[in-house]
Amino acid sequence: MINTMNKKMGIILAVISIIYLYFSFTLPEYPYVPVDSDAVPIVLGFILLFLSVLLYFSKSEENEEEKLPKGEGKVILAVLGFVLMFILLLEPLGFVLTTFLFISINSRFLGYKKWVSNIIVSLALPLSIYFLFVSFLKIQLPSGILPF
Amino acid sequence: MSIFEGILTGFQVALSLKGLSFVFIGVVTGTIIGMIPGLGPITAIAVMIPITYGMDPALALLLMAGVYYGSAYGGAASSILLNAPGESMAVPTTFDGYPLAKQGKAGKALAIAALASFTGGTISVVLLTLFAPFLAKVAISFGPAEYFALMLMGLMTVASFSSGSTIKALISATVGFIIATIGIDSQTGTARYTFGNINLMEGIDFLVIALGLFALAEVTSLIRERKERSMFDSEFGSMKLSKAEVKELSVPVTRQSLLGFIIGVLPGAGGTIASFLGYITEKKLSKKPEEFGKGSIVGLAAPESANNSASSGAFVPLLSLGIPGSGTTAVMLGALIVLGVQPGPLMISDHPDIFWGVIASMYIGNVILLILNLPLIPYISKLLKVPKPMLISLVIMFCIIGVYGISFRTFDLFLLVIFGIIGYFMARMNFPAAPMLLAFILGGMMERSLRQALTISDGSLLIFVQKPISATLLAIAFLSFIVPLLKTWRKKKSSGDGEETNSQAS
Repeated sequence: MINTMNKKMGIILAVISIIYLYFSFTLPEYPYVPVDSDAVPIVLGFILLFLSVLLYFSKSEENEEEKLPKGEGKVILAVLGFVLMFILLLEPLGFVLTTFLFISINSRFLGYKKWVSNIIVSLALPLSIYFLFVSFLKIQLPSGILPF
Repeated sequence: MSIFEGILTGFQVALSLKGLSFVFIGVVTGTIIGMIPGLGPITAIAVMIPITYGMDPALALLLMAGVYYGSAYGGAASSILLNAPGESMAVPTTFDGYPLAKQGKAGKALAIAALASFTGGTISVVLLTLFAPFLAKVAISFGPAEYFALMLMGLMTVASFSSGSTIKALISATVGFIIATIGIDSQTGTARYTFGNINLMEGIDFLVIALGLFALAEVTSLIRERKERSMFDSEFGSMKLSKAEVKELSVPVTRQSLLGFIIGVLPGAGGTIASFLGYITEKKLSKKPEEFGKGSIVGLAAPESANNSASSGAFVPLLSLGIPGSGTTAVMLGALIVLGVQPGPLMISDHPDIFWGVIASMYIGNVILLILNLPLIPYISKLLKVPKPMLISLVIMFCIIGVYGISFRTFDLFLLVIFGIIGYFMARMNFPAAPMLLAFILGGMMERSLRQALTISDGSLLIFVQKPISATLLAIAFLSFIVPLLKTWRKKKSSGDGEETNSQAS
């Protein structure tokens, strides 16, 4: 019977704790150190294993997971895709250009219809943040293919 | 340095032109961030960290204090205007705040919230001024055993006081501690769980976790609500209070400010418990309990002063012991460390300017919040008209800048997304995120003091029970862990179906 949320999560967490314990036991040991670097991880691994067993058998608070409305999962995944593209392009294309693309495309995708104000915001904001960071706060953001 | 001299030094920093302008920027930014549903003080402070990078620590703290108070007030504003509490702490504010706004008294409700927050904040900062140096003096005698016991107790009480299942909260805390073990071990130099990846050598930055779990994960709920028109459109009304109303409020507000401070000082019990408790006690003490929930001004003011007071009270253990007692103070600790300030008992003697600067900045932050936001709030609340799709894009962008501005590594951005995904699933499965963040921050410190203590005792665990302070603290930690578990177990046995949960109003 692994049809409930608690049981599923209990099993997943137990697997995680066993993997974690495995790596804890393979940590190198040093002589003359009263408490070596593997001590705390081993204890933590067993605590997590114990708690996941408790979770597996706990009956309360089941069926509390909200179901996502239809299609919403896809929207969230698409935004996740945009975010990943944002991160991948940040250094090659530069902060201003990537942020411009991200804000305009993501906002349009989520249902913002006014093109003109969309372009203005997604251009003005990254530009002002860029110059604030680079010239005022002296934090270098990636300039990418733009010359400044 | 006496308390009086200290405070004077602090005010010299806080009342300079630069100081005042940073508090101003902080208050306005904080109010705006706090108004956005889902984004509370934790996110507001985390987003500000990269901006303060390289600033004078004292000025950076002024900015933070402004953001901190501003975001708490912004949360109250969205609770009142939109019935949308940004986080659990602001939930009781909606009980009477939103009915008042629907009656066309939004202006009055906001003014009451501001005044109640101001009173709560100010009373507890006064208490903080007197209490923190005293506690720091006691704490100087603390050894690693006491520190370990204290942090364990803080962690346990947060886990058992957080809403919902205690088991889930404890799992969340354990996982947070496990994440803290990633990186080079500071005592032996062993690389743990880095799998040869250089980017993991220094461990994971707490900002990655804070922004991922709290801000990025919240974006998904903003996405789901993107089509809802949640704008406030009823009448705003006057912001003036009558003399009778002020009189009616004065006693409850003072009472809740004192209670809130005490709750805030206790590790684990933060603003959420304070505000719910404040609401419940005032309802019990009130001569007109039937008005509660229908727009009672006392019902609005009580939780507001209690939670603001508790939020400042939580600074007592943070500043005097260097131990955060809640998710928000955990982020604040991270912010201080980024600025090169290590809070703790030695902070008063080593960095008196910063210690007193923080406290003075809280007085100033409170005052500026009051005089600034009262006239500005009708305009600031117009910002809620920013279309949701645009808002979502901007929140994501700020998370990314926040993390990138600290490490300049895209690797950390991917980690940020991973924690966003984890936070999303945690929220859907009712795993509280605050214990994870707190355990992550405390984890490294706890491991260090545990191993120091065991090195002193040559490996004997008796060191923790032989010292009276540490033994007492460990006993409290153990009880706060075992009692809720026993309760769940007994309830299940007696009711049989296990439908009854131990979810507390917290």
